[in-house]
Order: sequence, then C-alpha cells, then structure tokens
Amino acid sequence: MASKDVKLMAHLMRRAGFGASRERLDELVEQGYDETVESLLSAVDRPTRMTDNLIRRYHPEYSGMMGNQSPSGNWMYRMVSTDAPLREKVGLMWHGMFATGYSKLANGKVLHDQIRMFERHGMGSFKNLLTELSRDPAMIVWLDNSENHNGSVNENYGRELLELFSMGVGNYTEQDVKEAARAFTGWTIGNTEYMTLKSARDSVWPYGRLSFHFEYKEHDHDSGEKEFLGHKGNLNGEDIIDIICEQPATAAFLSRHMYSFFVADEPPVPEWPYKEPRDPEAIAALSKVYFDSDYNVEETLRFLFKSDFFKSEGAHYQRVKSPAELVAGVLRLTGEFDRPKVDMNPTNLQSTYMGQWLLNPPSVEGWHWGTEWIDSGALVERVNFASERLGNIESPGVQTLIDRILSDGNGGMNAEELIERALDELSVSDISYKTRSALVEFAEVQVNQSDSGKPGPEQVANVLKLVGATPEFQRA
Amino acid sequence: MVTAQRKPSLVVIQLSGGNDAMNTVVPYTNGIYHDSRRAIHLTEDNVIDLNGMLGLNPSMGPMKSLWDAGKLAIVQGVGYPQPNRSHFRSMDIWHTAESDHIADSGWLGRTIRELDPDGNNVITGINFGRGLPRALHAKGVPVASVGNLETYGLMPDIVDRMTREMAVDVFARMYGPDDTRDAMLQAISETGMGAYLGADILRTAPASYSSSIEYEADVPIAQNLRDISQVLLADVGTRVFYTQHAGYDTHAGELENHAKLWHELSTAVNDFIADLEEHGRGDDAVVMIFSEFGRRIQDNGSGTDHGSGGVAFVLGNPVKGGLYGEYPSLDLSEQVEGDMKFNNDFRGIYATVLDQWMGINPQVILNKNYEQFDMIRR
Amino acid sequence: MTTTAKPRTTRLTYNRTIGVAGMQGRGFYYPWSVAVAADGTYFILGRGSDSDPRGVRMVAMNLEEEYFGTFGSFGEGSGQAIWNASTAIDSQQRLFTSDDHLNRILVRTLEGELLDTWGESGTDEGKLNGPTGLAFNSKDELLVSDHLNGRIQKFTIDGKHLSTIGEFGSGDGQLNLPWGLHVDGDDNLYVADWGNDRIVKFSSDGEFLANFGSVGRGEGEFDAPSDVCVDSDGYIYVADWGNQRIQVLDAGGGFVQQNEGQATISKWAQDFLDTNVEESAARDASDLDMDLVFNTDDPHERSAHIEKLFWGPTSIAIDNDGHVLVVDSNRHRLQVFNVVTAG
Repeated sequence: MASKDVKLMAHLMRRAGFGASRERLDELVEQGYDETVESLLSAVDRPTRMTDNLIRRYHPEYSGMMGNQSPSGNWMYRMVSTDAPLREKVGLMWHGMFATGYSKLANGKVLHDQIRMFERHGMGSFKNLLTELSRDPAMIVWLDNSENHNGSVNENYGRELLELFSMGVGNYTEQDVKEAARAFTGWTIGNTEYMTLKSARDSVWPYGRLSFHFEYKEHDHDSGEKEFLGHKGNLNGEDIIDIICEQPATAAFLSRHMYSFFVADEPPVPEWPYKEPRDPEAIAALSKVYFDSDYNVEETLRFLFKSDFFKSEGAHYQRVKSPAELVAGVLRLTGEFDRPKVDMNPTNLQSTYMGQWLLNPPSVEGWHWGTEWIDSGALVERVNFASERLGNIESPGVQTLIDRILSDGNGGMNAEELIERALDELSVSDISYKTRSALVEFAEVQVNQSDSGKPGPEQVANVLKLVGATPEFQRA
Repeated sequence: MVTAQRKPSLVVIQLSGGNDAMNTVVPYTNGIYHDSRRAIHLTEDNVIDLNGMLGLNPSMGPMKSLWDAGKLAIVQGVGYPQPNRSHFRSMDIWHTAESDHIADSGWLGRTIRELDPDGNNVITGINFGRGLPRALHAKGVPVASVGNLETYGLMPDIVDRMTREMAVDVFARMYGPDDTRDAMLQAISETGMGAYLGADILRTAPASYSSSIEYEADVPIAQNLRDISQVLLADVGTRVFYTQHAGYDTHAGELENHAKLWHELSTAVNDFIADLEEHGRGDDAVVMIFSEFGRRIQDNGSGTDHGSGGVAFVLGNPVKGGLYGEYPSLDLSEQVEGDMKFNNDFRGIYATVLDQWMGINPQVILNKNYEQFDMIRR
Repeated sequence: MTTTAKPRTTRLTYNRTIGVAGMQGRGFYYPWSVAVAADGTYFILGRGSDSDPRGVRMVAMNLEEEYFGTFGSFGEGSGQAIWNASTAIDSQQRLFTSDDHLNRILVRTLEGELLDTWGESGTDEGKLNGPTGLAFNSKDELLVSDHLNGRIQKFTIDGKHLSTIGEFGSGDGQLNLPWGLHVDGDDNLYVADWGNDRIVKFSSDGEFLANFGSVGRGEGEFDAPSDVCVDSDGYIYVADWGNQRIQVLDAGGGFVQQNEGQATISKWAQDFLDTNVEESAARDASDLDMDLVFNTDDPHERSAHIEKLFWGPTSIAIDNDGHVLVVDSNRHRLQVFNVVTAG
C-alpha cells in the first residue's frame, strides 16, 4: 500500500510529467518533494542532439515533415523518451491554449517549429512568449496575420490574441480588437505568396516542404496613432503585448489555464465568463505570483507545485487524462520505445483515434478537456489501448511490473493482494468500491487458474489489462 | 437487443486524396480533354459510354449496371466558392459544410443529433474505420468507430474467448451505476456503459447475417461495405453510416492506380446494393460518394495535381438516376487557374439528401438554404 | 549565400540535380541509398515514410533523368520491405538491399526479379540486428553494417557468415550504430560510425587502421555521418548527415573541401513547374536563398528553410563516369558533383 508521500509524488509526476513507475516514485520520495519540483523545473536545457538525430535517422517523415502525422509523431516520441517531461507538458498546455493546426497549414515543419518554440520560451516570461507567438510563422498563417495589411486590416489574430490567448472575452471592446489588429499589421512571413500557395495546394513539389520564417514589413505596418485599453500612441505589436500583460484579466485568465491544466479540470473556456473558478483563492494566489515574478511562468509553476491547493488530496485525480497524456503515460510505463521503431506512427495515431490529433486541433479554440474527452467511441479506444499495452508481456516495462508484483508474495497471493499490488504499481489509488470488487472477482478467477495458488505472469498481465480498463485509470 | 423501426439510412463514402473527376466521368468527345491529358487520357474505345458525350472510366462497369437500372445520379461540377486545394482544408470544408471559416462540428454529427437529440442510441451514427472523421463530430453526440466489425468491442486483443467474455463482463460491472462516485467518475462510467451497450448490440450483427453476395476479400472498401450491410440489416437503429476509400491522390501513375481504385469501389458498391436487394431492403438506403476536390485539367506527365471542380454520386433504389448539373466547360476562358469551375455547391447535395431522403430540415444542419436537386423518388 | 569556409582545394564542383518528390512513378519519397550498375543505370532505394509507405521501392533512372521503372513495395511479404536501408550491386550485377526492420537482405536482378532472401534476427555471429550499410569487396563478399549489434559482418552472397569486424563501443575499432560502408580498391573498409561521429577505416582483414574526425561542426568534424565513399585517388567523401553537408578528406583524413548543397531545378521538377504555372510564378517571385538568423546551431533548421541546401544526405557514391552522387533524402532528389582532378 502506497504511503502518503508516494501518493503525493505520484500526483506530482502525473501532472508535471506523464506519470512514473513505482520504482521511480520511491527514488523521488527519497530525494524529497521540493527537490523533485526543482529538478523538474530546471531540466529544461537538456541536450537534444542525440534524441533529434535518432528520430531523424529512423523516421525520415519526422525529419522532412512531408506527411500529416509528422509533427505529432515526432512530438509523441519526444514525450515518451524525454527526461524533462515538464517541458513537454508545458508545451502541451500552450498547444491547447494557442491551438494551431495542420488542416490549414499543410506543413508539419512549421507546426513542429512552434512546439520547439514553446519548449524554448514556454517556461520564461509570458510577455516574451506572446511576442514569440506573434512572430511564429505557423500562428501568422493559421490566424491570417499574413492577410493583415496597412489599410486593410484582418482582425483574426488581434481578436484571438485577446479572447483566447490572454484576457478572455468581456475584458476589452471591439475597438480594442481593431486597434490590436492594426498594431500587428506588417507582422508576416517571408515569401508570403509562395508559402501560403504551397500550403493552400498542399504541395510537396518539387522538393518537399519549406519552412516559414517571420518577416516584419515596415511598409505594410500601420504606424498611425492607436488607442488600446486606454493607452494612446503609435503602438506596435510589442506595445500591445506589454499592455496585455499588465492586465489583471490576463493574470486571472492565464492562472485559470494553469490551474485547469495542472491542478484540477475547470470547465472549457467558453463557460468561464459564466462559471466561477473552482478555487478562486488559488487563482488569486497564482495571479499574484504572475505579477510579482514579472510574468514568469517558471516561478508561477514553482509556486503552484508547492502550494497546498496542488498537494491537497482534494486535487488528486481531478483531471481527465488527455489522449496524448494517456498514450505517452502508458508508453513510458511499457518501455517499448527505448528507440525509434516502426510502430511509432500507428501508436501515435492512437491519440488521434481517442480524439486528440496533436497539432491538428478542431479549431483555434483547441480541444474541450475534462469529461468532454470521453465519448463512447473515444472511451473504447482508450480502454483498448491501455489494456492491450499494459497487458503485453513482451514489453520490457510490463515484464518489470509483473516481476515486481510477483516478487511480493512469496507465500502465495490472494486476489485482494494481487489487485492491491497492481493498483499500486500503476499508481491508481482512490478507487471506488464497485471497481475494486469487480477487479477482485476477476483476480480470483485468475489466481484459481494457477495450481500453486500464486498467479503466474499471464494472470498478472490480465489483471494489469483490467486495471488499464477501469474508469479510475482515465484520470490523471 | 434493440429493435428499431426501419427508417431511411444514409451511407456516405469519402474518396480520400482528391478523385480525378475528368477521368471518372470522361468528356471523351472533347478535344480540349485530349489535348490537356496527353499522358493519361481515356479514349472512345475504352470508356463506358453514357450519352454519346460522356463516358465512365472503363473500370466502372459495375456502376454502369446501376446507371442502366436508373439508380445512379451523377452530379457534375461539384465544389464551393474559392476552392482550396489542400487535402485537409478542403476535406474539412466538406465535413463541416462551412467554407469560409473553421467550424467546430460536422454536418453528419449535427444530423445525428437531430435524429437522436437525447443520445438514446449510441449507434445512431457509425464510422467504419478508425478515428472519427470531422463530418461525424458534434459536441455531446455519441458515434461509434468500428475498425473491424468481427472484432469490434472492448479488449479485442484478448485471444482466449472465455477470458475476454469475463473481462468484458467485469468492465460492465466496473462502469455500472455507483452513487459513491464523484461527478467526473459518474460521467466516465455512464459513457462506458453506453460504449459497452453499443458494442454488445453491434456484436450481434455479423452473427445474424447471411448473404449470397461475396464481397471482394482483402479489399478494405468491400469489407467496410459488407460490415455496413450487416449492421443495416440487423435493424439496430443506425441511420448514418460513414466510410472511406483512400488513395485518390494520383499525382503519378494515374491510369493504372485510378482504374484499380474505381474497380474496387464500383464492385463493392454494386455488391452492397445487390446485398440489400437480396434482403428486400434496397429501398432503405441511399449512398452518397464524394471527394474533397477534383484535379487539374492538364496532366503532369504521369498523373494529375490538385485541382477543383469534382463529381459526386448519389445512388440506390430511392434515387432518380441521371446526370445532374452541367459538365463544366473546359474552354481556357472558363477554367479557374487551370481547373474546372464548379457550378453546383456541394451543400445542395447535402440539402437534397437531408430534406428529400432523411426528412430533416436542411437549414437546421447547414445554417443556410441551398438549391436542391429533384433526385429522390417519393 | 556562400559556404562558410573558403575551400583550400577544389575537388568537387556542382553538376546538376536529378529527381523530384513523388510517391509513385517518376520521383522519390525519402530516397535513402543509391547504387550504380555496370551499364550506368542508377538504382535509388526509397525509405518511404511512416504514414505513406508508397515510397518504399526502387527507382531506376540515369543521369539524364530517363526513367526506367520501379519495383519493390512495402510489407513483410516476399520481396517486400519495411525499412529499406541500403543497396549495393555485385560484380555479377545482382542488386542487394537491406531492411533494418525485417533484418534481412533481398537479392534481385536489375529488372527487379527476386533471386534470394536471407538474414536471421539475433545477436549471435552471423545474425542481424538492423542491417543498414552494404558494400562489396573485390571478392564479391558482402559487408553488412549490423548496426544495432555495433559491428560489421562479412557474408558470402548467399548469406554465409565469414567474419566480424568491430564491436559496440567508442574506442579504436569500436562502433556505435554504424551506417554507410565503402570498400576501396585495396579492399580497405570505411565505416560511417554514426553514433561516434567519425569515419573508421579497417584493413581488408578487419584490422583497425584509423579514425577520421570527431564530433563538431568545424572542418573535418562530423555530426553523425551517414555514408562514405573513396575515389581512385584515395580522396574520401563523407555524407556529414547531421551537419547537412558533404566533406572531402584526403587519404590521410585531412580536410580538403566541404559543400552544403547547391541544388537547382531538375528536369522532373521542371515538368511539375510547367504544369502548375501559378505555383511556378509565385516561386519565381520569391527569394529562396535568403539570409536568415536561426535560434539554434542545428543545421537542420537552415536546411528546412533554404531549398538548395542538403537536408538529410543519407548516401554518397561515385558513378562509372566519376560523378559523385549525393542522396538528398528530405528533399527527394540527388545532387550530382564533378570530381576535379588536379593538373
């Protein structure tokens, strides 16, 4: 039975990472909670040359980025293999919030570049991140800022920057949207016509995809006077971002996103104007750190992971795993991708089948999270994926799980003990009576199938399958 | 076992990759066609003539028998304003029926919601294939995705039959009602129970099916249409069926590849209609076939690149066969950037099928009125 | 844009680009390796991709871009491949290919008829774990880069194990995920020691002779080299894959020249541009050779943006007329160079 410390560490690792094996949890408990938080936060500058080289050698598609699966497959492999999981989690948070998709861009490389940008800048200053986002070629084409010209304003980016990326609806006027859009005129990509034409035609000819690059076109920038949220002047994009970052609405909006992503599911964003946050005090505390730290994401996360509202048992399991988290979490446990393999693409597709095609969100609103991840089709995919992989005796990680479970009961193991051990190894605690009793009954049949009264590897694998199929396993 | 009253069903087949309309319904008497398609044209000698001006691709023999029986409607010049030649964006436009902004739900998802507003039947809509096409997606609308009907369901990887039955039984108990659970777990378990029931119903379909029709083995579209037939004949309340046939992105080696695809599809569709007929159910289903775009008028030496202006098919006993719309002119002055100019908005076909066949107000689904074809027998 | 280092000697000059992106018929989808037949035909092996395996095939063509046909397909069946890795032709004009997923070697005629299939998975001597690079010596013995086993194995053409060269590690004579191979006129073996960022030279009987290069982006340094070949004067040509360039070394390993790629429009590419005139016009109005500042020193970034540069050079070989062929994988083409012989 896991101790309180182990449960807390498991909670931290599910949120700041993709979960951890029971063995690893013991090591981390030994290391200490605060130290673990620090090592998660600081593991951002790891060398990536070898990981990148391995992916590119075996999966040319993830290098040349011609296919529509390329950026998500590349990212999934990195999520599964990384030793800095928080960086990828933060990337997932920004990807959900700044959702940009393949459907319009038809260019995997520029989407990949955006995720790498999140990895470089996603833990620093939010102001800097918004600046990078506004210069990000994928974002520029996705929200039509390449069509936003001096004298012919396209409001798409200006609007979403305020509505979805920083302040939330109700905190600015339509005039502010127009003025923000004007301020971002001239922020475009180089060779605009050819690049957008290649995307619109989904053309890989003659020589594959070309990456986009940011270009500021002074002559296409509206340098007239603007008034944005009460500030007047010849405002450019950077000035707009400065003003946005100073807003309490931005602090609250960002804090609620962080809370929802790392602490407990909030309702999807469109409901925010009508529903109070689950924990308004936590949002206020996070907002304070945001301002005190000069909009620093890392500082805000440090505070979050060390806060009582995060550590509280009331927050444990209060998130539904996103498909990407579920897939990456299971694969890190099974250990089957110690290096790039042929199966990487079909395996990455599982997340798509479950309703999250990374880098191809349904719209700029991103995915609706929480229980909305789980419709009946998606649940079948989730259950079948987790149970198949966790019960696959061939996988090195599963062998380790089975060995550890079996090594515990020298004098035999009854059904209850077997279930207890399996739940513990997979860090599924807080399980309902209904689930537990059904599992125990299943385990009884499994135990009885062995003559020794002690289950063998196959029976344990069957039990692991069923734990992967529980309602409780769907939560993070 | 759920039994439902027999109601009109819609089968949608998506041709992924951009079907070359010009080599599907061939303007074989048009000189511009031959001039533009120097490498990959079809001739009078080998097309299947329809009316002395147009002919079907020679591989479409089985479709010709549907044509002769008056069950095949061919809609020419299908598209939408400001054509997009990206597979993904254009397919998205067809899926959502919105061409000027990125929408968040699919037209068939909205249709399923209209058919079953309370989500009482988790298999009102089924996709045959993995993952959920955007066409079927709508918030809160349950849709099943069936990769393989024979093995569909929970934990199909468990080989031992007894163990799997037990595992599925345990699943049903784990997801059963439990008042002690919090709201999140309640929601998850209710959905799980729905998935379990849907799978349980679908499981019965292959068992109750028998037919003299032998669909082509090892041809996914044939197998998917057979699965659709099984579910349709099982009367479990499914109204919207969706499947895909991939490989139409014929940039190279087009003659051979395109012919193979249309042979597979025509044969499978003809078998499907015959299967329904054999069971006295030919009047219950309409099949619609579409692709995200057509291809360039001029070939590239061995294939064709992405274009616009496509062809769609609507077929089945309830359909009034014939040509609908006009074949777009190939004259240089009428071309749009080297492509055929569309003259029928694809949403007109959606509106026709929704209104005249499914009995649903198309404006509710499409947010706008589109001109319909007089295509369905009433 | 100019190359970053001023060449001391010019050994290579650019000749032309051949090929175009294409999943079927003319063209390549992630070409991976090239071999040249006695009659001068190029056989270009495609790796394909995870989501579109149509590129898993062989394309036969020549320098003038005459297209002779294609064979091979994706799968585990007879004559099929999952991960095409390398190709080589023996003196009897039999075409060999390796598959580093199925751990087997396929043997074909130049027309594509399957003659033989051999190879067994494992770590014991004679077994294979990820066969990549292939090369023949003068005795028609096949050297196979058994890369996950960290060694090179020598086989008869029908798969009988003869000897083993190297072992896993980073010391002298050791290898880490070796990739491309070359055998010179004296039967010395050159190995692209990918994981150790160097070229390793062994004698004909497998004795370690020399290491060339170490990790880095400078002259004579490598980042994960993928392939190597040697001309009749002893000059060594390296596909410096991670650095997105080729390098020329002298016989002693001294740096001579590097080239980052200077691709132009091939005949097949021109056919595409002729059909798609709007795209062609937009292209003509663009600057595809711009000066950009990148936030990383990873040359992969530059190559993703600038079309003429090498992007994933996986294979380098010399044809019968002395042209150096570089398989430019992510750009689905070959860049061809002339060798300039001194005086």
